[in-house]
Amino acid sequence: MMKEFDYLKPSTLNGAHNLLVKHKREAYIFNGGTDLIVRMREEITNPNVVIDIKGIENLHEISYKNKECLSVGACVKLSEIPKYKDVTEKYAILTEAIHNIGSIQLRNRATMTGNICNASPLADSATPLLVLDAKIVIYGKEGLKRVLVKDFITGVRKTILETGEIVTAIEIPIYEKPIIGLFQKMSRRKMVDLSTVCGTVARINGEIRVALGAVSPTPVRGVKTEAFLRGKVLTDEVIREAGEIIVTDISPISDIRASKEYRLDMAKLIVKRGLVHIREGQLNWGEQSEA
Amino acid sequence: MSKVKHRINFTLNYEEAEHYIEPNVTLLTMLREDFDLTGAKEGCGAGECGACTILFNNKAVNACLVLAVEADRAEIITIEGLSNGQELDELQESFIDNAALQCGYCTPGMIISAKALLNRNSSPTENEIKEAISGNLCRCTGYKKIVEAISSVAKKHRGNSVEGAEKGGEEE
Repeated sequence: MMKEFDYLKPSTLNGAHNLLVKHKREAYIFNGGTDLIVRMREEITNPNVVIDIKGIENLHEISYKNKECLSVGACVKLSEIPKYKDVTEKYAILTEAIHNIGSIQLRNRATMTGNICNASPLADSATPLLVLDAKIVIYGKEGLKRVLVKDFITGVRKTILETGEIVTAIEIPIYEKPIIGLFQKMSRRKMVDLSTVCGTVARINGEIRVALGAVSPTPVRGVKTEAFLRGKVLTDEVIREAGEIIVTDISPISDIRASKEYRLDMAKLIVKRGLVHIREGQLNWGEQSEA
Repeated sequence: MSKVKHRINFTLNYEEAEHYIEPNVTLLTMLREDFDLTGAKEGCGAGECGACTILFNNKAVNACLVLAVEADRAEIITIEGLSNGQELDELQESFIDNAALQCGYCTPGMIISAKALLNRNSSPTENEIKEAISGNLCRCTGYKKIVEAISSVAKKHRGNSVEGAEKGGEEE
């Protein structure tokens, strides 16, 4: 049973902001609810005021903006994102990750913004968003500001959000060249499970980008691995070596889902498989352009 | 601070409903305790088992992860809304014909998930069926008969659509 709280449903962003400022730490933003309701039932989170932002109409928008980015409003359900025009073709790494979050029932309620704002180290949508250089759009007292997803999540369940601030959308840059990449998730069962380790390896704008989840306090980019791979041809030897360097980018722990050692091994595997996939993808592209 | 009850107006199994409810009550609890619709079950209470699956604006959701106040202006269909008196939905008939249940605890959620699938895709493949019910746990049947029950409805739809297209010479 949840503790008592007041439920408020403002219809404007400013209204929501004012309520958050007024109630400060007593208030929680309520969006898809799939995480907050569980936490309230378990009495881990006990807000006095729950502010449902789903009444704010423009947070439900998904659109391509000025040919620059795909903007996914904070209240857009996970299940709606892959259905929007060309998203699955353009951002297969993201839609594959989304497909791996919870169940159909969950994806009909949960949002990508919620997945990121919860700031779990194993958030499935985080690693594709990291390699895509997605930006979090934040509404606050100075109006709107944009922050890279890598700077937004600061720790386990911690973000840079301050009192009164609300994430309105996530913006993903449009890349002219097709992205070749792979989202991978290791979990005990194929569906409706949390990641033991997850990651995205992709070739974007001519460079290889790597991000891993559940191996550090936050989802992380494999900075050293990426630096090593810059300008290199993906030979077997380079791929093997990249698989070793990734362990210096991460700091996994042992917990209920896996040991530290297992996670290190899986991280190597995710990187190596991802790079092989990119190498094969490049070959296919080459063949296609010659044909 | 007083915790007020909210008035909500919604459609429940095709009928208009008005209700007053506290914010800290889930939609599942309200449906079961205030409306006596006990088909949807509370299994895990955390969105993992799917026993509480209902249709919320025609989408399958876990009723345990929805606040009752959110039902305001929504259209809700529970397992009880699928049958018309003694007349069962084709999925319910098929679950019986295929013996697709044992203890029955998961069945309402399972059928609602299948219904949501058939609403968006009237003749799904076996893989699409398996995916559609992947958020519904069954601890008795091993899923085989459940998939068969849904498949047989899908197959019937395919048969109908072939007839409808008047494709001669194609027999099942």
